[in-house]
Amino acid sequence: MDLKQSIMNIGKYLKFGAVALFGAVLSSCNSNDDLGKQEIEIPGITIDGDIDCCSAEEALQVYKFLQTVKIIPELSTVIDDKYNVFAYSKTGKFHGGYNEIYFVATKKKNGNYIKNFEIPALKPIMLMVKMNMKHSTPVSAGVESFNKNYLAVKRGWISFVMNTSDAGSWTLSYDYSVLGSEGTSAEQEIIVDALPEGQQWIKSFKVGDGTYYLSLVNPLDWSTGKNTITAYVSKKNTPATTPYGLASEPFVIEIDPRMPDMGNHTSPDNVGLSRQSDGSYQGTVNLTMTGRWRIHLTVKDAQGNVVAGGDDLSDGYSSLYWEVTI
Amino acid sequence: MLETVLLATVLMIDTEAPDRVQNLDEVLIVSDERRGRNRSVKGQAASIDEHLGELRKVNLVRRGSYAWEPVVNNMQTERLSTTIDGMKIFYACTDKMDPVTSYVESGNLQSISLNSGLDGNPQATGNIGGSLDLKLRKVGFDSDPRQINVSAGHEWNGHLQVYGADAAFSGSRAYLNTGLFYRDADNYRTGGGEVLNYSQFSKVNVFANAGLRLSDSDILESTLIFDRATDVGYPALNMDVSKAQGFISSVSYRHLFSGASLETKAYYNHIIHIMDDTTRPDVEIHMDMPGDSWTTGLYSLLTTSLGGETGAQHDVAANYDLYYNRLFADMTMYPGGAAPMYMVTWPDVGTLNTGLALTDNVSIDDRQSLRLSGKLAWQQQRLNNEEGYHGQKVFFPLMTDSYYQTTGRIAANYQLSIFNSQLSIGGGWGSRAPTVTEAYGYYLNNTFDQYDYMGNPHLKNESAFELNSNFQFSILNFQLGFDANVFLFRDYIIGRLDDRLSAMTVGAEGVKVYRNLDHATIANFSVDAGWQITDRIAWSGNVSYALGRDDESDPLPLISPLAWRNELLYNYRNFEARVEVKGNAVQTDYSAKYGETKTQAWNIINLSAAYQFSILNSHFSIRGGVENLLDRKYSSYSDWNNIPQKGRNVYLNLTFEL
Repeated sequence: MDLKQSIMNIGKYLKFGAVALFGAVLSSCNSNDDLGKQEIEIPGITIDGDIDCCSAEEALQVYKFLQTVKIIPELSTVIDDKYNVFAYSKTGKFHGGYNEIYFVATKKKNGNYIKNFEIPALKPIMLMVKMNMKHSTPVSAGVESFNKNYLAVKRGWISFVMNTSDAGSWTLSYDYSVLGSEGTSAEQEIIVDALPEGQQWIKSFKVGDGTYYLSLVNPLDWSTGKNTITAYVSKKNTPATTPYGLASEPFVIEIDPRMPDMGNHTSPDNVGLSRQSDGSYQGTVNLTMTGRWRIHLTVKDAQGNVVAGGDDLSDGYSSLYWEVTI
Repeated sequence: MLETVLLATVLMIDTEAPDRVQNLDEVLIVSDERRGRNRSVKGQAASIDEHLGELRKVNLVRRGSYAWEPVVNNMQTERLSTTIDGMKIFYACTDKMDPVTSYVESGNLQSISLNSGLDGNPQATGNIGGSLDLKLRKVGFDSDPRQINVSAGHEWNGHLQVYGADAAFSGSRAYLNTGLFYRDADNYRTGGGEVLNYSQFSKVNVFANAGLRLSDSDILESTLIFDRATDVGYPALNMDVSKAQGFISSVSYRHLFSGASLETKAYYNHIIHIMDDTTRPDVEIHMDMPGDSWTTGLYSLLTTSLGGETGAQHDVAANYDLYYNRLFADMTMYPGGAAPMYMVTWPDVGTLNTGLALTDNVSIDDRQSLRLSGKLAWQQQRLNNEEGYHGQKVFFPLMTDSYYQTTGRIAANYQLSIFNSQLSIGGGWGSRAPTVTEAYGYYLNNTFDQYDYMGNPHLKNESAFELNSNFQFSILNFQLGFDANVFLFRDYIIGRLDDRLSAMTVGAEGVKVYRNLDHATIANFSVDAGWQITDRIAWSGNVSYALGRDDESDPLPLISPLAWRNELLYNYRNFEARVEVKGNAVQTDYSAKYGETKTQAWNIINLSAAYQFSILNSHFSIRGGVENLLDRKYSSYSDWNNIPQKGRNVYLNLTFEL
């Protein structure tokens, strides 16, 4: 793409980008200037045609996405004094259960986003002070691009089995591979907040000697009506300090959503979770109203044997459940 | 068949459209005509509900002592049309606690007219069972220049107080009616003296109707009504109402041609309804349940007379109407400590409806007449609230957020007068679109059968064939009448249990979803008799019976059992006194299938007397009486959850006219 072409494209984005408009207003006194004379300005980024990095419009999309998430400053890493890796989450913090974590890598010289890099491993460790024991928690296998509009953003997830407390604290490091530079970031302490009352997004069960974790993905995105329910099933490793990857054996997870404050009211036509090609589990949950819902679970193995949940509490519902308040 | 209750004194020929029809039944709310049977014995202080009760084909569903729901030909609101001077207005409560008749006051009205069955008034749509039109009180031009009316009433049972004052000014170029009414009641006592909690209410109403004659043939008229009920108890329900407020307004323009009149009216009304359970003890989950209803519309009514002299005369009315209504209701539940739960119960449904109606009253000759009426209406409905739409889509995955319906009705009635008798036979066909509750209601709890009701957006229109006949016969001092009608429904809409679904309301039995039954039947029969025993003493009596059957020949709910009324009237000069005995037989035909329980037989005796006199051009009337003289504890089949009626009640009403 020649420079003229990219400038034309830049002009096109002016219509949408408030940021770009801001830049344009600053650099010219008349916003009706010829399109060709205007340029996108993204704070801290110089578009210099570096082929490792994003084009102006790609960079603008990344920049716009990053405005919707918050940086986690302690997880930033400088690599060989040439590259930066930055980590983000929705709130700039972590909480119990499933958290998405986003990464971008930039070149120091122009501040622009590097198109291809890898974070092959996320390595959270919990140090339980009193017992002097360490363990990890379920994580995604590395990170991946997830939106074609901003491929330079990579997403992974960590599902924390417990919160930071007097009993123990979390550290997080990650492996990186950026334009040939490989290494591991320093272990940084992170704070994992407790979820508020009425939210329980990670549950465990045992089959034989194996311990499995059920991580519910972003239930706060749900609303009244039909929702896709997504979850991951991870298996605890030995040693427990190795981050827990997805369980290799397939399960079927039946769901029974109930409102405990509403006489265990339920909704019709819910579809249990089954394993997808990407390793996640997906189903359908129908919510008739907002409020506190318990998604009672029955986990079956590939042969259809109930391996967890499906027992009846005194209220008649499985003791294995996620709890979600929307 | 038409029936009218007249509520006001003066006949206002020049404000009434010449759509007067034979066989009119009206309730007079105010009248000179003391002998007029069709008005409440309580006179002007009577509530709208009491006036409605005077209409022969009307029963009232009672959920408390306020805002009774009119039932015509044993059909409730869904199958009726209720208009105020031709204006469409829709209730705002998902639990039907506010039939639209509750947003006006007796003093606002001239009369209430009822068209039975499919032969509706020109603005009526969906009126399978009948159409009620509440006609506003307009003094008109060139009437008494100044009239002032003051009335006060008191009922000892429940300490009901009624105060009203209204004034009318009339000139050749302008007129104005305006008034203020106030009602307030405490809990009443049932037969035996037990206090029925949550049966109190309070209401204020202000209105103004004004007219301006722009020229000999051009008239501008306008209406404003503001009505607010507060602290209304509903002993039959789990909740009360903290506020039910109606604002009703219209402007109309009338042009008189020679032999024709064209009236065009534009209107707007808004109802706010706020339920309240904070005064109830032992509420498991406190709930907020507000509802809103906005309606704006217009109609244009052309009336004229054609033919006559030698051939048949045609009194023709053509009406075009258009309205847009929005209904929104939601519910927030507050479980102790936990997060509130929220749902949209009416998903902000916008209904745009337009229709064209024609009526022709043909006077064939002195003895025969024919009335023809028909209407074609089209409506579009849109669900404007996303959350409500997505909630309902869980149950109906194929539903969309927009629907349209076409409905129509056609009716004919032939009348023949021979000797001392009059015979009328009629028939018709008509359809109605499902109501917003039936199509889009979301977990609406019905305390009648303890089920949550789910609207069904895939309902078909309901339709019915109607056949009716009436025979009146008089000889010497006797008068005898028979009346019968039958409605043969197709796709009758009613809730049926869906045991896949889980109840929402704590304590509910389950969930019912509205469905079309292949067919259903409702039939009504009545016999009237009258005997003028002497000049001063007259007797009248009435017996009625009704039948409702669903597609499996099981009884439909809320169908009247055998009912009777006997009245002995003494009348001398300005004094009249009555003894009334009325009652119902035991409800053998109750609908267990639809959650109805059997209501026992009852009989009560009512006494009333009225005296009118004049001093210095001022007219006074005193009305007093005792209802339920023997203090019987009873409830009728239409008392929601069988809440008991008032015990012995003594009342005294005074009216003073200047």
